[in-house]
Amino acid sequence: MRYLFTALISLCVSFVQASVITDAEAPDFSLVDSFGKTVSLSDFSGSTVVLEWTNHDCPFVAKHYKTGNMQSTQEYAKEGGAIWLTIISSAPGTQGYVLPDTANELTTSRNALPQHVLFDPEGDVGLMYGAKTTPHMYVIDASGILRYQGAIDDAGGRGFNFKNLLEADNYVKNALKEIQSNQVVTTKVSKPYGCSVKYKVTGSRMKRDTINSAAVVATITAEDIQRSPALTTADALRL
Amino acid sequence: MKKLYTNRSYLRVSLFLLFFSLLSNSITAESFFDAGESSLSLIAESDEISTGETILVGLKFELNPGWHTYWENPGDAGAGASVVWELPPGFKASEILWPGPTKIPVEPLMTYGYEDEALLLTKITSPRTISYPVNIGAKVSWFTCKDVCLPQEGEVSIKLYQGLKSENQSTSLLREMERTVPTDLSSPHRVSILDNKIFLQFEREEAQQISSAYFFPAEYGFISYVANQKLERNDRSFSLELTPAEVQVKTLNLKGVLKLNSDGDSEYYNLDLPLGDKADHSPLGLNLITALLFAFLGGLILNAMPCVFPILSIKILGFIEQSQGSREKMMQHGFVFSAGVLTTFLIVAGLLLFLRSTGDSIGWGYQMQSPLIISLLIYLFVAVGIVFMGNLVLGGQLAKFGVLAQGQRDLAGSFLTGALAVVVASPCTAPFMGPALGMAFLQPGLGSLFIFLALGIGFSLPYLTLSIFPQLLSKLPKPGEWMETLKQIMAFPMWGSALWLTWVLSSQVELQSVFAVLIGALLVAAGLWLLEKTQNSQGLSRSFALFISVILLAFSLWLIPTSYKASPAEIEGNEYAFSAERLENLRLNQRAVFLNFTADWCITCKVNEAIALNRESVKKILADKNIVYLKADWTRKDPEIALMLARYGRTGVPLYLLFPSQGEPIILPELLTEDMLVGFITEIN
Repeated sequence: MRYLFTALISLCVSFVQASVITDAEAPDFSLVDSFGKTVSLSDFSGSTVVLEWTNHDCPFVAKHYKTGNMQSTQEYAKEGGAIWLTIISSAPGTQGYVLPDTANELTTSRNALPQHVLFDPEGDVGLMYGAKTTPHMYVIDASGILRYQGAIDDAGGRGFNFKNLLEADNYVKNALKEIQSNQVVTTKVSKPYGCSVKYKVTGSRMKRDTINSAAVVATITAEDIQRSPALTTADALRL
Repeated sequence: MKKLYTNRSYLRVSLFLLFFSLLSNSITAESFFDAGESSLSLIAESDEISTGETILVGLKFELNPGWHTYWENPGDAGAGASVVWELPPGFKASEILWPGPTKIPVEPLMTYGYEDEALLLTKITSPRTISYPVNIGAKVSWFTCKDVCLPQEGEVSIKLYQGLKSENQSTSLLREMERTVPTDLSSPHRVSILDNKIFLQFEREEAQQISSAYFFPAEYGFISYVANQKLERNDRSFSLELTPAEVQVKTLNLKGVLKLNSDGDSEYYNLDLPLGDKADHSPLGLNLITALLFAFLGGLILNAMPCVFPILSIKILGFIEQSQGSREKMMQHGFVFSAGVLTTFLIVAGLLLFLRSTGDSIGWGYQMQSPLIISLLIYLFVAVGIVFMGNLVLGGQLAKFGVLAQGQRDLAGSFLTGALAVVVASPCTAPFMGPALGMAFLQPGLGSLFIFLALGIGFSLPYLTLSIFPQLLSKLPKPGEWMETLKQIMAFPMWGSALWLTWVLSSQVELQSVFAVLIGALLVAAGLWLLEKTQNSQGLSRSFALFISVILLAFSLWLIPTSYKASPAEIEGNEYAFSAERLENLRLNQRAVFLNFTADWCITCKVNEAIALNRESVKKILADKNIVYLKADWTRKDPEIALMLARYGRTGVPLYLLFPSQGEPIILPELLTEDMLVGFITEIN
């Protein structure tokens, strides 16, 4: 019964929080933007959507904005008719958490071009998408299918500080370009890099290791192997 | 705006340079850089260097309490330090030799790095000609993080002078650190993927000392950073269970650092294991959909299996009876029968899950492992056979079991017939059913329930179809005198089943217990005879007969054995259960023997069985070379097996022994692969 219980729990949990799979439907969400308006992903069906997880005080994000790399990516998206949603999953009291006015001020002062800056102080959307870093980028095509997730470009890893971001291979631009010309996105996943998303820490939050996609039905745990008699085909046929 | 940023960065750079020029004026600051929350210094194992020599240098980060910096792979966030060396011409610097990291959880994420202090080693090699003093400079960029991250940058340099290597105050620290840099793991190790879990397995001689282990993946997108890693020890081998990453990137090698902890001490090992196509993603090669389809087909074919024949006869009789009823009523019976079948399958599945969770090792037909149930079934079949053969009309109580055609008029009878059909069918396995059931046992909760449900649907479908389309039934002959004859004939398969069950029982219990059950069957027969004899009489004689019959039945139940025979018997083909006596006999007869010490709770054993022992090539070569396969199952404590293990210096499983026809056995590695095993067996004579 314990297994049944665990299976039920993990099924339930997977609906609440899970990472997203490239080339599968991007889960819908609703968040309040910096103008107090509730915005849903589904509002933009028919358009390509870029999700950008941000935290303006994170040095990785700061460099992308200082060098104009993020803005140039936003501009590229805008020219192609894509919607840009900047999401802040920092919990109140943590780095990157801002009030709406500050968020708007940051947009203006940094010449940023998001359609909306969205607040996710509970971290639900961030965890649902498995956003780990700032920046962490997602590109969703016009039919709502996730086509890219990961870093903004290949400048991540060690020596990031030394790298010229404008010379980096920009995965988001590549994905947008390929989606626009109806091509298959070449790089679908990359390792996101940056600061950790400053999620709300709650004791009640399920540890992420309990999160398993509902799609993985055929899961055996070590305990299962321990307890089940490893019945092979031959064993079963013998009975 | 962009221009403004550029101007600002120019300003920063010039300030930075100014700062540096100030620093470089003081002599001590050269090898030391204070970056606020952390400081950086460059140290070398010697102040002197000769030509063509390699010298160990280190970048030492000292962090304020609570701050950390990152490993080469930072985990979910952050970035490891990077260095640009500034060396005189001809000098070469190695890659950073990263010391083993520690886990630094940032809920709900996981990062890897160093707290308090980090010493990143590099080997610098001098050319054949040098102009002294040698200036070794490093431009370093790193992150110092707590809940927030600070990017830090600094330049440090030291001077090395002409002379032979000599110790200074940093020498011992650097050499000590060099010893902790991960090395290659020399003992056998491997990675296996079983369904959705990744098992990193390795052997260690000094296994007793290892208290915990952790694998730090070097690459993104294969192993989850945050998931717990569960370590299991089996004698000298270990199995570390890793969880796949939420986002998967095509990965060819499992790369990373394995950390082994023992008594406050840690060892680090570099691993780089090809995943290849040998990685077995599903031991049975079935996904759930296929398993469900197989289960359905298996259930359907199960109807045609010989051991289901007795129920088939009950059901055929039932349908013939019903064909006289109304169509509606028949449909009703059909559905209720199916409901009985499905409910029973679900109960069996539920029971299975329950027993599995309590740690019992069971399989399909696990109810058949119980001498109690088998004995009861023997009595039941004997009784049903007698009833079929004779003229006994059992009323009330027994008819409710749906054994008799009469009982089937009411719906409860149909339901119970369905239930009985499943119980009786349980010793049978039809084609397709095996793989599906094997899959069911490896499924957590819901999966196995669905598989059992599919089996039940397949099993009850023919009857459901017949009850919905009674025109098919009309093809069956009209009832009449022949029915009595048929009923009598049907008694023989019943008794046949009882015989077969007696044989099953004989493999489980001692001979005298089997004999006791046969006596019990005789008593059941006597009781029934008495009932039949007096079924038309009234009063005292009838009550007396009933009383005697109940006593006979009670006595027959008392005769049922409850304990197993000491050693289970033959398993399959050239496969036998281990007993010291059996092994000795085989050795006396100069037979080659493969002895597998295993247990259901041993992951390494199960993985070995899945990826090597149960493979066709292995089975074939064992058969071809006429090697007897002995299986010592240590799932339950067994002093004989423990003694045998002790003889080979083991306290646990797995242990694989390959006995040639003469001489001492070869002890095989604990981590088997198919090729390796075939290799060993091929060489044996």
